[in-house]
Amino acid sequence: MNALPNANAVTAQAIVDRIKKNVGVEWKPDTVDTFKAGDPSTVVTGIVTTALASLDVLGEAVKLGANMIVTCEPTFFARADTPTPTRRAPRGLPGSATANSAPPVPAPPDPVFSAKDDFIKKHNLIVWRFSDHWRARTPDPFAQGLANVLGWSKSAQGGDPKQLSISETKLDRLVSHVKQSLKSRGGIRVVGDPKLAVRTIAFLPGSTPIQASLKALPAVDAIIAGEVREWESVEYVRDTVALGGKKSLVLVGRIVSEEPGMQVCAQWLKTIVPEITTTWVAVPDPYWRPS
Amino acid sequence: MDTLTAGEIVDRIKKNLGFPWRESSKRDTFKFGGPDTVVKGIATTMFCSYDAIRRASEAGCNMIIPHEDTYWNDADDVSVVSGDPSYKPKVDFMREHDIAVFRIHDHMHAQKPDFTYVGLARALGLDNKTETAPQSHHFTLPETTLGELAATFQKRLGDKAIRVVGDPKLKVSRMQLGVGYATPNINSPEVDVVVSGEQQESDGLLDSPAYVLDATTLGIPKGWIMLGHCISEEQGMLEMAQWIKSFTPEVPVQLVRTGEPFWVPE
Repeated sequence: MNALPNANAVTAQAIVDRIKKNVGVEWKPDTVDTFKAGDPSTVVTGIVTTALASLDVLGEAVKLGANMIVTCEPTFFARADTPTPTRRAPRGLPGSATANSAPPVPAPPDPVFSAKDDFIKKHNLIVWRFSDHWRARTPDPFAQGLANVLGWSKSAQGGDPKQLSISETKLDRLVSHVKQSLKSRGGIRVVGDPKLAVRTIAFLPGSTPIQASLKALPAVDAIIAGEVREWESVEYVRDTVALGGKKSLVLVGRIVSEEPGMQVCAQWLKTIVPEITTTWVAVPDPYWRPS
Repeated sequence: MDTLTAGEIVDRIKKNLGFPWRESSKRDTFKFGGPDTVVKGIATTMFCSYDAIRRASEAGCNMIIPHEDTYWNDADDVSVVSGDPSYKPKVDFMREHDIAVFRIHDHMHAQKPDFTYVGLARALGLDNKTETAPQSHHFTLPETTLGELAATFQKRLGDKAIRVVGDPKLKVSRMQLGVGYATPNINSPEVDVVVSGEQQESDGLLDSPAYVLDATTLGIPKGWIMLGHCISEEQGMLEMAQWIKSFTPEVPVQLVRTGEPFWVPE
């Protein structure tokens, strides 16, 4: 044995450089895909991909001997993704009683933020977010992942995994299949006739605005989405159904909808970082409902 | 015979609010029809859905006062949706049935009290004496568990698609109530459980599901109950109907429920 540095040593920064080179999407100057914690010059012992770098996922990474976490969603509970909370503007409208008399937001630090930051430091973890550019890839890896998990990977229309033709299934049976395949607990919510015959499906993984639903719905029987705004796509589909449209919307939750896409990410990282073990770590559906 | 127009009703709403109308509000305007529409009956509703408009019309109401949007976007920008096949039949129905739609959102939330909170507290069966300060929407409940609280609220509201994050066995008593998309901070030290309508799941200002998951792992007591946007605010449209009735005695006023949009699998 000698004390020379391992010739195969790869730093977190080198891995990010390989991702940028291979992702096939022009790197945006303004992006959330940046380091959120840890030193980029750290030699990586293993990579974990996940939809959400929860404390449980970080703990699992430590158990696996992995020190680099590639996460789709924020680590520190906000788009700002900083180890101390940014002060949140009071909700409610200007002048409303709501805004002013609710208990005040605590001044930073916050015990949950701090404990997570301490855990990351204690275990020398590096957290890097991968959302904007992974999502922009063609074909969409989040849709591809959903198609894989649901057993429809060969059903893509014209090779686009966002649109699928499946063998005819009643909506209620389709929803049971989705629930089981995605290991959903309480996150699934459905709009549409349970006995609707579904042959064509569009995926809208993650969080999507009304424009995405308006574009997708006319061409399919069902949209399977992560998260939409209830005053937008939910009401749009409700109205379409009430007006006689043979349509439906299945919401599975944002994080649940992104899980399979981060599984695909682990497979892809193995091809560009073959010398390091990459493991996908699942996040259980955060939601449950009373039985 | 005297007639009452939609414009006169809006004038009475403005006069009875107790504070000046904010002309800058883009939400609280006519979305269909206009001030000259002769009103036979008024229906308050949560979302201005096609089905709610149809049922209101069948009940003899041609003025709809919804809390939320009509055209599936908050700005009610018709250009966003007018190319969709569902847009025209909805608008045609309103035209054929001489409907006027006037939204009340910003001013409803600015009213004292805000009826959305009054209605939700009533429907949840909350004791007003347990509110820690007037209109704080912060309640001290007899200690229960997150699971029991969610089950009780689900039953009282008939809320099929209620969603909960946190440990079902968690002991909770300090509850912060929110409505609609105005979901309060989960990280206030004075709050064990937030009960509200809808919030962005992640990548926002404070991602409550992720926060509650990690708090649970750390043993920090936090729970989060999402009732759904419609269910959380629809209750207060009853109070809104009663309030409008108090100054429009000439015409019938009623709540027409939009109802929960979702069903859930076994």
